[in-house]
Amino acid sequence: MKIQKHETEKQLIKMLGLVILGVSVLTLTGCGKKSDESHDAAIAAGKMLAEKGRGSIPACVACHGANGEGLDAAGYPRLAGLNTAYIDKQLQDLARELPPPGVLIEKVSKDYSKTPRIYSDLTVFSPSVRHDAVMSPIAKQLSTTDIHNLAAYYGSLSFQAKPVAADYEVLERGQDLALRGKPEYGLPACVSCHAPDGEGFGAGFPPLAGQPAAYIVSQINKWQTGDRDNDNLSLMRAVADQLTDADKLNVAAYYANRSLTVKGK
Amino acid sequence: MKRLIYIVFLLFGQATASYADTELPITVVRPTTYDAYANIPVGLTHEKAIRQVPAINPGEYFVPPAVGDIPTSKYGDMVKLGRNIFIDTQHYAKRYVGNGLNCSNCHLQEGRKPYASPMWAAYPMYPMFRNKSRDVQTFEGRVQDCFRFSMNGIAPTLDSPEIKALTAYAHWLSLGAPINKELPGRGFARLAKPRDPTPVNGEKLYKEECATCHGLDGKGQKFTNRDGYMFPPLWGGDSFNHGAGMSSVKDCAQFSKANMPLGKGWTLTDMEAWDICTYIWLQDRPWDPRFGWFFNIFAPPTGGN
Repeated sequence: MKIQKHETEKQLIKMLGLVILGVSVLTLTGCGKKSDESHDAAIAAGKMLAEKGRGSIPACVACHGANGEGLDAAGYPRLAGLNTAYIDKQLQDLARELPPPGVLIEKVSKDYSKTPRIYSDLTVFSPSVRHDAVMSPIAKQLSTTDIHNLAAYYGSLSFQAKPVAADYEVLERGQDLALRGKPEYGLPACVSCHAPDGEGFGAGFPPLAGQPAAYIVSQINKWQTGDRDNDNLSLMRAVADQLTDADKLNVAAYYANRSLTVKGK
Repeated sequence: MKRLIYIVFLLFGQATASYADTELPITVVRPTTYDAYANIPVGLTHEKAIRQVPAINPGEYFVPPAVGDIPTSKYGDMVKLGRNIFIDTQHYAKRYVGNGLNCSNCHLQEGRKPYASPMWAAYPMYPMFRNKSRDVQTFEGRVQDCFRFSMNGIAPTLDSPEIKALTAYAHWLSLGAPINKELPGRGFARLAKPRDPTPVNGEKLYKEECATCHGLDGKGQKFTNRDGYMFPPLWGGDSFNHGAGMSSVKDCAQFSKANMPLGKGWTLTDMEAWDICTYIWLQDRPWDPRFGWFFNIFAPPTGGN
């Protein structure tokens, strides 16, 4: 009698285990499909918006190229193959209002030696700001969903860089700065964050290779004037503050000269 | 428009100041009111008062020769091999390396950066007495120690091409540097220690300042399109072992003060550097190879984990 009871218990447990396994497998596969579908839908919606525009929002392809490859002559950046989260953040920052002049953004001091636990929750971060005369008004008209869709679309595109020829000396100087920086002035090399071939790394470190030289120069200028200030730990701001005009031109020419292939998703 | 007016106002303010004798044009810079970081209250404590990034004047530090000037000779070939090993140890000295690091992860910018143990300041100081080995050590022997401890691997023999090449590279980098003279920028920064460091602050600071690149788990970040690490691991199996210089809180703090976060050296206060490194020191990493196999297998895991 007792043995029989044990066996039925065992069987019950087995059945229960199977059911749980089945249900979990079903839900897991279902979830995967669903997220894939929503991602595809986002890409499709993003493509629609990028190619046709909507109302007063102009089509992205007008400036950023039919496949998001950018426009070298005008310095319009390429978007194809950029990190999705990066595009997302940049559009949000472009849409953000600048703080009115005269407003003092005060950081709560973190005096760890006194009351670390209290201050840790009160840290104030300044809002990320990126201002552009052309792009900011457009970005302000985009909804969060639009931004998400556009980021998904441009993140999914493949990209093949077309190296731009430049003077040998310029390239050599640009390479020296890109690979070694200026150690005697504490300026780090570009490759130490933007990856060895300038292909970018993650959401925080955008690619430099395959971007128009004019775009790189204009962005460094914006870092220096404060029109762009939206990086983590203000790492890029510290770097940009040390670059001379010649450095900008050299390094931008070097990265516009690099070849790069980005596989689409 | 308001912004424009403000900038114009700022320009006028600067023009009236004594800028007349400078030849450089006055550029419009960020108004201080937007500058959240500039508004950090300083001078609250002694620690905060020293959060001042020193300006570097031209000629302050030794400048090693340019890579393009490596001579075309047998010696030059050895220097080139040495440079390759130095910046890509994972590939060029693979069989001697036991973790995921390269020489240039600590000796930043190809062994050129002042206060990141630059080769041009180290090479002319050898042979030198070292407390670690209680003996006079040659440069080659010192490189062997790096492989054993910092690279958590096996030391190449003294006659191996790897040691020869690295020595040739260091020799070439210190072209024109005086022999046996301490140059500014040698080793790491010198720190004050106002109080005993605490990992409680260190953990918080680590998450704020370091985790962006080195990861919350300190295991660094790997490339997605190739082998190796984009940002090096600070602890865990792929990092330096307990015998390495960088695993001592002092060396780590001195290094971090001058070099971290990358490009923003000298922005941590001395105490912040001590705190962060105390937190890093508590984490688990490979044991000191000098302790022997019995201890290394049966000893409990280290510190915080």
